[in-house]
Amino acid sequence: MLQPFNEQSALYLQVAQMLEDGILRGIYPAEEQVPSTNELARAYKINPATAAKGINLLVDQGVLYKRRGIGMFVAPGAAAAIAARRKAAFYQDYVIALAKEAASLGIGAEELAQMVRRAAEHKED
Amino acid sequence: MNPNNYPELRAQGLRLRYGKQEVLHGIDLTLRPGCIYGLVGRNGAGKTTLLSCLTGQLAVSEGIVTCGGAPVWENAAALANLCFSREIGTTLGNGPNNLKVRDYLEAAALFLPHWDKAYAARLVERFGLDERKKICKLSKGMLSMVTIVIALASRAPITLLDEPVAGLDVVAREDFYKLLLEDYAETGRTFVISTHIIEEAASVFEEVILLDEGNILEMGETDELVGQFAAVTGAEEAVDAVCAGHTVLTCERLGRQKQCVVRLPGGPGALRAGGEVDVEPLTLQKVFVTLCGHEGKGGGAV
Repeated sequence: MLQPFNEQSALYLQVAQMLEDGILRGIYPAEEQVPSTNELARAYKINPATAAKGINLLVDQGVLYKRRGIGMFVAPGAAAAIAARRKAAFYQDYVIALAKEAASLGIGAEELAQMVRRAAEHKED
Repeated sequence: MNPNNYPELRAQGLRLRYGKQEVLHGIDLTLRPGCIYGLVGRNGAGKTTLLSCLTGQLAVSEGIVTCGGAPVWENAAALANLCFSREIGTTLGNGPNNLKVRDYLEAAALFLPHWDKAYAARLVERFGLDERKKICKLSKGMLSMVTIVIALASRAPITLLDEPVAGLDVVAREDFYKLLLEDYAETGRTFVISTHIIEEAASVFEEVILLDEGNILEMGETDELVGQFAAVTGAEEAVDAVCAGHTVLTCERLGRQKQCVVRLPGGPGALRAGGEVDVEPLTLQKVFVTLCGHEGKGGGAV
């Protein structure tokens, strides 16, 4: 069963993110074809226009490119580019939220830093 | 039929009165070819009436409905493009509806010029429908399945379905949306689907038409419409500060906590979100309830 979409952001962004995740994890290596608009639409029961919007976003970012008459392919260097972009957004998307939750629980900066170090070093959850 | 030649369906100044009561108050609407539209609205909003008028099954009181530029009313050439699959009654005249499933499918084949008999047979099999069964003996779910078979197998360039999933369980509903998207990928025809089960259908609709008390309240791209709304939650003063200057639609308080739904035509990026409030997107269902939940009409406070 494919993972259902959540309600936290627009569907087409989630389509784009899901394809990015696949590229980052090596499911779609460079020069490999990604699922078509209609395949995505059928698998996730979403409108093909929504799927196309997500794919086009990645085309605009240079992550995917089109081979006329064949389909969409992963651009060379796409995984590295995605990683670099996500790294730039990491502070905004994750660290600020983490610090906010920590503050509301009364976890101080030092304690938080220790927790982060522990998780990073031991891969605990 | 070549998808590029699919016609558009248009209503202009459409009014409909039952006796003295006006049910549709001047609807202007253009349905472009190759789009899946969702028609949502509360009970009595006029959804079925609108679909009936759009397909020439009900004479409009004022205005006009055209398909590819030609009026649909009593116009066989224009009607050939349309299929309106509506709920099938289990009674006929004064007695039970003793017609069989097969009779309905045969009648559909007569009236729908693009009818795809082989496709209908595949769908009947997939749904496990018994063609020999009488309509009055069918469960609510099976009645829905018959209307779905007729709608899909009609292969009509513009296909309108009235509450197709109302009687279906969740597995059959998912199956319906899957079939719909498969058909759409193949044919690229126009669908208009009315439903009360908004949440799971929202991702299928490219555009949504929100009908409220006989008027079109909103019509547009589903993503774009939903993206205009946000729920802001936090301490009262903080929420007020963030929402100041924006269109606040609803406010709810719980102790000192407050949640406001705001509408931001440019998306939630326009909010000056401080650290102390949560800004969350709404679902299509929540947007619908926010816009149509009039107080004192079965919704809102008593």
